[in-house]
Amino acid sequence: MGKIETNVKDALDHIRAATQELHGAISDAAAKRGGATKADLEALAQKAKAVTESAKGSISTQRDAAKKHLADGVTHLEATQKHVAESLKSSGQSFQTSVQKALADARASAQKISEAVAAKRSAASK
Amino acid sequence: MRNYVAVVFDDTGKAYEGLHALWQLDDAAEVTVHGTAVVHRDALGNFQVDTKETHPALATAVGVGVGALLGLLAGPAGAAAGAAGGAAIGAATGGVVGATADLVRADNRDQAATETRFVLGAGQSAVIADVSEDWTSPIDTRMRTLGGTVYRRAKDDVADDVWFDDDYFYPSYLYPYEYIPSSYSL
Repeated sequence: MGKIETNVKDALDHIRAATQELHGAISDAAAKRGGATKADLEALAQKAKAVTESAKGSISTQRDAAKKHLADGVTHLEATQKHVAESLKSSGQSFQTSVQKALADARASAQKISEAVAAKRSAASK
Repeated sequence: MRNYVAVVFDDTGKAYEGLHALWQLDDAAEVTVHGTAVVHRDALGNFQVDTKETHPALATAVGVGVGALLGLLAGPAGAAAGAAGGAAIGAATGGVVGATADLVRADNRDQAATETRFVLGAGQSAVIADVSEDWTSPIDTRMRTLGGTVYRRAKDDVADDVWFDDDYFYPSYLYPYEYIPSSYSL
């Protein structure tokens, strides 16, 4: 996305970047003319699984508000995984519904994780 | 503090420079950006949002969100018009918002356009952002150097607004990362 690295990133920043990338990949798949392919969805399923595991593993390293927001983000990541898996087994309207639900949950997870980053930055600046 | 920010530019290219600068401020941990979109207003007063091609149902939500968000950023006077106008311009699909609004509701659309004009004038573009910021100077200073005018409303004020409806308003169209269409590559 062309952003310049200007500071040292911690684990939460990396999880946020991975979640943003996941959302981007799902929205690209949703916007694809002719629909997402099975290969697209399998790649999304793997990506969603990796991000979820990484985020889950970092919850215990966070504190206070950041921890709560990250846990909320993991809940949405798990839902994203579930919807992507459903999309692999469906077709037609139910396929579209699963992809849109995956997109909505990926968006919500990115939102929660950026709130975790904001809480951590705010605490560090006090 | 969590704020909704609109930075208005006279030029679309500058709006994308502003968007890039905003994400750079996030990268430097000066602010945290939760979501951004770039909105244009053409010479006829129609709104357009740069989005990836999406499902028509999502595109409708985009239209609703833009009308409400611009109205709310305009303040309480613009909120009613923005909420009502948002429903009308939400009839548009694709990336163009407002161009194909239902004529039956054109009165609402025109009212929204009038009430929000001071936020986004005809021919101007704006970066709309949901941000957490401990102080306002990083965004204000950076955007001023790019020629942008910053409008800001606290998210709490928006949430307390009589017109606020979480399900209706929440700006799901905001990209949670720096999205710049290839036609505007910096």
